[in-house]
Amino acid sequence: MSSVDEWKKMAVKEYGSSSVEAMNTLTSEGITLRALYTEEDLHRLPHIHSLPGIEPFMRGPRATMYTKKPWTVRQYAGFSTAEESNAFYRKALANGGQGISVAFDLATHRGYDSDHPRVKGDVGKAGVAIDSVEDMKILFQGIPLDTVSVSMTMNGAVIPVLAMYIVAAEEQGVTPEKLSGTIQNDILKEFMVRNTYIYPPKQSLQLIADIIDYTARHMPKFNSISISGYHMQEAGADSALELAYTLADGREYAKLALARGLSIDAFAPRLSFFFGMGLNFYMEIAKLRAARVLWCEIMSELGAKDPRSKTLRTHCQTSGQSLTEQDPFNNIVRTTIEAMAAIFGGTQSLHTNAFDEAVALPSELSSRIARNTQLILQEETQITKVIDPWGGSYLMETLTNNLIERAKFLMAEVDKAGGMISAIEKGIPKRNIEQAAAQKQARIDKGDDVIVGVNKYCTDAKTTFKILQINNLSVLKKQAKRLKQIKTNRDQKKVEKCLQALASYARSGKGNALSLAIEAVRVRATLGEISDALESVWGRYKAIPSSLNGIYDRIFQHDPVWENSMNRVKKFQNKHGRRPRILLAKMGQDGHDRGIKVVATGLSDAGFDVDLSPLFSMPDEIAKIAIENDVHVVGVSSQAAAHKTLIPELIKILHKKKSGDIKVICGGVIPKQDFAFLKKAGVGLIFGPATPIPTIVEKILDLIE
Amino acid sequence: MVNLDIEKLKSGDPRTLARAITLIESQNPKHRRDSKKILKAVSQVKKSSFRISISGAPGAGKSTLIESLGLHLLEHGHKVAVLTIDPTSPISGGSILGDKIRMEKLSAQPNAFIRPSPTGLHMGGATNRTREAILLCEIAGFDIIMVETVGVGQTEYQVKDMIDAFVLAVSPLSGDSIQGMKKGILELADIVLITKADGTSKNLAEITLNDYKNSMKLIFRKDQWIPPVMAISSVDKTGIPELWISLQHFLAFKQSTGTLEKDRMRQKVIWIQDLCWEAIRERFKPKLESPRMQKKLFKLLSKDTMNPNQIADIILKQIELKR
Repeated sequence: MSSVDEWKKMAVKEYGSSSVEAMNTLTSEGITLRALYTEEDLHRLPHIHSLPGIEPFMRGPRATMYTKKPWTVRQYAGFSTAEESNAFYRKALANGGQGISVAFDLATHRGYDSDHPRVKGDVGKAGVAIDSVEDMKILFQGIPLDTVSVSMTMNGAVIPVLAMYIVAAEEQGVTPEKLSGTIQNDILKEFMVRNTYIYPPKQSLQLIADIIDYTARHMPKFNSISISGYHMQEAGADSALELAYTLADGREYAKLALARGLSIDAFAPRLSFFFGMGLNFYMEIAKLRAARVLWCEIMSELGAKDPRSKTLRTHCQTSGQSLTEQDPFNNIVRTTIEAMAAIFGGTQSLHTNAFDEAVALPSELSSRIARNTQLILQEETQITKVIDPWGGSYLMETLTNNLIERAKFLMAEVDKAGGMISAIEKGIPKRNIEQAAAQKQARIDKGDDVIVGVNKYCTDAKTTFKILQINNLSVLKKQAKRLKQIKTNRDQKKVEKCLQALASYARSGKGNALSLAIEAVRVRATLGEISDALESVWGRYKAIPSSLNGIYDRIFQHDPVWENSMNRVKKFQNKHGRRPRILLAKMGQDGHDRGIKVVATGLSDAGFDVDLSPLFSMPDEIAKIAIENDVHVVGVSSQAAAHKTLIPELIKILHKKKSGDIKVICGGVIPKQDFAFLKKAGVGLIFGPATPIPTIVEKILDLIE
Repeated sequence: MVNLDIEKLKSGDPRTLARAITLIESQNPKHRRDSKKILKAVSQVKKSSFRISISGAPGAGKSTLIESLGLHLLEHGHKVAVLTIDPTSPISGGSILGDKIRMEKLSAQPNAFIRPSPTGLHMGGATNRTREAILLCEIAGFDIIMVETVGVGQTEYQVKDMIDAFVLAVSPLSGDSIQGMKKGILELADIVLITKADGTSKNLAEITLNDYKNSMKLIFRKDQWIPPVMAISSVDKTGIPELWISLQHFLAFKQSTGTLEKDRMRQKVIWIQDLCWEAIRERFKPKLESPRMQKKLFKLLSKDTMNPNQIADIILKQIELKR
């Protein structure tokens, strides 16, 4: 190995450091990335000689991988009404799309019919509104459900939505055993990051077990669950946290089904996964390879015999969080790199994000480019011709092993807390993810992590392109009208009988919620009614809030920009007799709270008093809190397009209550096109995604002074 | 006079009450003068309330308890104000106040008023500001006032001097078992509540309940009140009506024995003393903590001929506060 020593000597000289270790990078996963890996690194690695399609599946779940059939191009889409989404799907299928992935609006996710007062800002916004089987039938009109596989991102209202899908197919003449596709059905991560839950954890898990049970008996081609790390990554988790918690969730679901008395090989082949793909290229490839090894180990420990039970099959989506509002065409490049990582990692299907998704729902142009990104990779390059092309790379094999070890450490921490459910109740994963998120944002704000066009190489050049606008009110009207029609034309007695059966199921726990919901859907019970029947017994879950501080203080120590911000806050305090006080609010059914948590951490570290609102509040509730707490300003975070309805309403209510002096500002995913509208409605400041905290501090103080 | 409508305050307008509290909490000297004017202007208004403090370690379930009790009281026609005191960051002084997340239903009710205050505001005059806020809530017509304090320690002793009933919330054997809990805190409690008596912690709650029942027997109280120890569950929704009955019982007990009047009188005396202490502190703080004084102290210490006691004597002489 004298040659390595020779390299070390040269490298140290070239790099200008005292040792080669100076060239190391400590990743946010806590893994040390070295500048050079050599053959020596391979000696200790356990799976180096493994092969694709054979245990532990590190090199791929199938023996042939993309050489026989490349990954499925599966683009997630859905908006406004069932009619419009249906037209979109049919066009996409005609243009090279290979499967459907349905995005539902937040009202549907949270189990509300479109005419419920709490969802007036959300209907049809970030997905399609589904109230009854009639909507579902329109959604799949002209799409043969026995051949086209359907993926549905649904976790809260899983029971009515899956029931409606089954009944819509039934009325199309397709029986359940022919249905292929996936329902996300992963509630544990909702309690960790995304907050799109309805019932308490225990009852939610009961529903998941019902679905696993039902599909194992009646829907052999349908994936009963898609265990998702994607949303953890979106919420700020690094690759190791995402990997560990996703697999720990998977193990929990498997145990749940085992406790039901199902045999592991009866359901395990239908468990699928869903990972996010960020820009840390090497790490993301290693993540998928590591995930397969870990899953194989976990399933073997649980007694799986069938190799199909031990193979991890996954869908991937490029990172939405890595997209920027600034200089948005850069997003096409980012997405391409992320897509390549997913492919090199060996994904089974893939969604590539559209470049405008940082600010809006994808338009026709941006969707086409996103889809074509995958088609180019499939058909214009020779990437698909070789299985696991990174296999044997000194770096990749080492990194894969590093991630396996790191994930095992994190999973042991979950075990120590008494399993994932108990860890979630203790807030452990949520806290770790939020901490990772705040640290990442602070590094970006400081410029330690580079984002081209955001904190480096910024441009003043304006990029213009058309974005998709949803007329929320017209969708709401249409849905309300259809609901009324359905309710007048159905046999009310039959509906009531079915709903009572669901409520008594909720009380006794006897029977299967999905079977009961299918009966209810057949007689035209609505999504809201079915959810309500269960909620009337179980109640609606409220998450325990958590917050962090001290992260900005630490990362920005002695940074002049930061000290300047803190000094301005102190000056404000001396003048006004108290600190600047801000209420950070989430309104409507949008539960994405990563942004608001990071801002809360940053502002309180800068010396603000920060009030947090309950999730899912409505404008009148926010106004009451703002007035009682006597805040200087309300900051609304919007990630799901409800800002045009709910923010103006909040301002109106504040004025009506003679509290117009309380300023309203907003941030999140807000398209430039809406700025003028919001300003006119009285919004004081609008912050795009990834605005640095010191900038937010400055501008708020300018506004309230 | 300040831009604050006293009539509106009396009518219970939440905006006016909120601003009045902001004013009394302000550290700006002008605001302090203004708030004294307001307190004077309302001094003739005679309104009273039942003042309850809810204390306990973080995670003991105080907020959930306040939410359930508050909703129960609203159903019985009361108007409920809640004052919560939140910790602030020692570095920046900023804070994150999430109380209303845990009192979601109560905070949406028109007859409830919840005001979280960061402790940082209160440095020095902590208890006085809370007393004044209680007073303002009474003026605004709230007949039940709950004060929530986080942590078990100094604040609890202070809060005891401004309320009628002290409720201690304890979670089932979660590390704050009796051995771990300062005995002094138990002596403050008029009612002890074991929270989370449901699900998997139900058995633990039973054990904890018995432990506390035994320990409370050992506590001697001058007023002869035997503090009840009870279990509640916000999940199973049990124990809240019983808690309210106990609280009313305690109030009736204090009224019949005359301790309510006596206590309130004594509390006013302490209030006046605290105001005097605050004024004294405010007067001497600038002198004592000025950069010039700091420099002087360093100089005296560096000579290494005197100990801190001797130096303190010299300083006190200089700022005319002879010992």
